[in-house]
Amino acid sequence: MKLKPLLRKMLLIDLIKGLKVTFNYQAPSEAITEQYPLERPVIFERFRGQPRLKVDPESGASMCIVCNLCALACPEQLIVVKGERNPVTKRKEPVSYTYDLSRCMFCGLCAEACATDALELTQDYEMALYSREGMVLDQAALERGQEPEKYVK
Amino acid sequence: MFDAITKYLSSNVSPGEAGSMFWATIYILIITAGISLSVIAMNWLERKILAHMQIRLGPMRVGPHGLLQPFADALKLLIKEDIIPQEADKFVFWSAPVVVTMTAFTTFLVVPFGPTHAVTDMNIGILFMLGVSSLGVLGIIMAGWSSNSHYPLMGSLRSSAQMVSYEIAMGLAIICAVLMTSLETGTGTLSMIGIVQSQASQHTWFIFKFFPLGFLAFAIFAIAMVAETNRAPFDLPEAESELVAGFHTEYSGFRWSLFFLAEYAAMLAVSSIAVTLWLGGWMRPFPNWLSGATWNAAFSLFPALTLFVLAGLCLLGTVRMPKIPQMKVQTMGLLIFGLLLGFIGLVLIIPGVRERVQDIYWFVVKVAFFMYLYIWYRGTFPRYRFDQLMKVGWKVLLPTGLAVLVATALWGLMPQLSSAILGVLR
Repeated sequence: MKLKPLLRKMLLIDLIKGLKVTFNYQAPSEAITEQYPLERPVIFERFRGQPRLKVDPESGASMCIVCNLCALACPEQLIVVKGERNPVTKRKEPVSYTYDLSRCMFCGLCAEACATDALELTQDYEMALYSREGMVLDQAALERGQEPEKYVK
Repeated sequence: MFDAITKYLSSNVSPGEAGSMFWATIYILIITAGISLSVIAMNWLERKILAHMQIRLGPMRVGPHGLLQPFADALKLLIKEDIIPQEADKFVFWSAPVVVTMTAFTTFLVVPFGPTHAVTDMNIGILFMLGVSSLGVLGIIMAGWSSNSHYPLMGSLRSSAQMVSYEIAMGLAIICAVLMTSLETGTGTLSMIGIVQSQASQHTWFIFKFFPLGFLAFAIFAIAMVAETNRAPFDLPEAESELVAGFHTEYSGFRWSLFFLAEYAAMLAVSSIAVTLWLGGWMRPFPNWLSGATWNAAFSLFPALTLFVLAGLCLLGTVRMPKIPQMKVQTMGLLIFGLLLGFIGLVLIIPGVRERVQDIYWFVVKVAFFMYLYIWYRGTFPRYRFDQLMKVGWKVLLPTGLAVLVATALWGLMPQLSSAILGVLR
């Protein structure tokens, strides 16, 4: 064996180098852990989470025109839209709009297909439930969107 | 009766030597409680330090910065179901954790926390410690064999092979230190207190004696002691990724926690051997360079200062705690804990107390350094393969140990040897 590697081995140089690395990592500022309920993670803009139906901010009417494109685009066929023509405004308005979250894989095809950009997948992600009830969102729930959960100890 | 109890207080020896049963029992109780407390502290520290080394935070939720986590864990372990496998050898299975714990705790009988702060001062102290601590292997083999399962058996076999091979290197390193005690005075000693006293009379810690030799012996011991206690990177007996948990795979609840307690007590025990033999035991740092009454007084303030720093950290934590109602109880708890630490610090400033406590303090600080090293190794090094482990033990540490032993003996005999050679030449 050559002298230099032998000395390296005998003086445990590599081990000491390793020790130095882990020692430096101990600074609390190095920690990348996120304390989830206390501090919320940064969600990227194009994240596809909880679906939401937009309403017109001025009139409060739904932006959905019941074109059924989202239901056709959905590979799981979990969107069911029923609508009626409003005799006054001559617009089609949804009577019932259900979205089965339990089957959704958040592919975003429905939001892409939407002709009026009424349906979108938001950045909300806290969709876990204790039972299957409430997994099927109706129009009201979709329009209300999701309140971020408060951290209660 | 009462006379005998009070008489000890004026004497200046350990209770074992004074023959005072009462004070020996008190010492044993204090040491047992102290070890259990430090195991709890180690549990928390290990998780925190290891987490920070792996860029995590570790426990943060149970109490401020997870300070109450070990207590929560202990409670969980105590109320867990106690499972004994159906095919297990019940009696051996039952007695294995007892053996391991007893041996780990018995070694502390001779650990010198100070010139008088030891349960007893045996004239074969270091031998006693080695002997009793190697009995721990017995408990591990019992645990592995009686579990009647593959993983524990593999773990215990690995453990026995490992401990036997590393004990030799460890013994050689210890002999070097024992040899050094016999220099200058002419008579060596195996007593733990005697070893520290001979370091005091030779005005050096044995790690610096005969410069590379003392350090080499210490290095051999420092490697062998990690292997002895089955800790990373030598944790093959309980290799998590290979053997589930090694010899205590089948154990649960309280029995498992006994193994845990024994492992950490054994770590403390070997660390205190290392401190006693090479790092000057209870002696404060720089006894020669910074000598004199002023420096003595300055160094005796250290225990109080440490507690003040800890208390200050707690108070800082109290201030920085998020001001939300959910954190109110935690904030109060941290404040009370900090005030308690500060109060103990104030007690340690009293001159009478601080002179008695500083021996224990320096000993504990040195042991704590070794405990930190254990965690540091665990956070850094990957596990050895078994053949590598054996290679390091037999082909590296053993020959080096022998060489260091011979060299130490020759160096120690230098005056006599040179005069003998000169005499022959004349």
